[in-house]
Amino acid sequence: MNPLPEQWRMIVPAALGALAVWMLLPRDGKRRWVLGSLCGLVALVGVLSTVRPVIDDWAMDGLFYLFGGGAVLSGVMMITDRNPIYAALWFALVTLSTCGLFLLNAAPFLSAATIVVYAGAIVVTFVFVIMLAQQAGAATYDRRAFQPMLATCAGFLLLGAILYTIDASGRGGEDARPQFLPRVQIAEVTPNPLSQPRILNEETGETDLGSLSSIGRSLFGDYLFAVELAGTVLLIATIGAIALAPRRAQGHL
Amino acid sequence: MISALESQLAIGAILFTLGAIGFLTRRNLILMMLSGEMMLHGVSINLTAFGRYHNNAAGQSFTVFVLTVAACEAGLALAVILTLYQRRKSLDVELWSNLGEADLTREVEPAFPAAPPPHEYPRLTPAGAMPKPQAPTVTAKTTT
Repeated sequence: MNPLPEQWRMIVPAALGALAVWMLLPRDGKRRWVLGSLCGLVALVGVLSTVRPVIDDWAMDGLFYLFGGGAVLSGVMMITDRNPIYAALWFALVTLSTCGLFLLNAAPFLSAATIVVYAGAIVVTFVFVIMLAQQAGAATYDRRAFQPMLATCAGFLLLGAILYTIDASGRGGEDARPQFLPRVQIAEVTPNPLSQPRILNEETGETDLGSLSSIGRSLFGDYLFAVELAGTVLLIATIGAIALAPRRAQGHL
Repeated sequence: MISALESQLAIGAILFTLGAIGFLTRRNLILMMLSGEMMLHGVSINLTAFGRYHNNAAGQSFTVFVLTVAACEAGLALAVILTLYQRRKSLDVELWSNLGEADLTREVEPAFPAAPPPHEYPRLTPAGAMPKPQAPTVTAKTTT
């Protein structure tokens, strides 16, 4: 078993990150943003040096650092920015970095779909709503965070627990995995051969995972019922949004 | 040794946590909604990383469903936010913290003092330069 102090490689960056986020959250008066940014950068470098990818391909590693670090930095900037318009734009950057990680995970179709749905629809719509509803100048509710200390402590306790589990299951190999519960023997299920990714190249083991035909075979083979349900959910959500939306006759927005 | 899977899981966990903190601390309705979307991003990274790890398209299919639910959620949240804004003319979520009866006592007192009322300028014929507002006050909402 690992005592707690031996886990300093995960605990110290988590604590520094919590300190950084707590310092950077909007509040009355001046924020110590220089100290907070330094703490955050040290924490990010610490985490990324601990969980560095071992792909032995400097291009893939560099792209992972670029997209992963970009996603985390943009996320911190999004939740700490006082201006909601800038926060929405930082969220668009988070989405772009996430799409880069999707590309690294062999999911080009998902990457494109996420850009279309999020950056093309959600962010633009919400920026318009912010511009419609924004009062002149920065509103007071954007300048004061609600219970920053409690929320930061809770969030980073959760993050520390997750990182501890990832680290513990990744370090010890096969022996360290059943740390908390004995491994349950799962019944062997033979996968549907139609929905498995097809092997394109026998020598390199390259498959068509992530291509449109692979996702389509999985969606309409294994998850056909779920696809129908998702379509129904979309229809119901559309009807609900139309029913809930304010009428212009009762007063324009 | 930590392989490529765990690094992706760590990024997903960090994004999820940041989204949770944003959801808990921000008081703007729209930013709370966007923080929830960031939590969904973290989950999606986890799903595609596991799909890549097991060489299986199921993770990407789940991510498609996550996208579907996110789109539905965005549409519904937009309608609800617009309705709430129409009622109170503000995006502050604190205004909606007391949904019960008006004569019931609140168990949790607000942690910070109430915001000062916005400074109202007298409505005169505009002439000359606009006076500079004091630092802590909020300028009145400009109509037309």
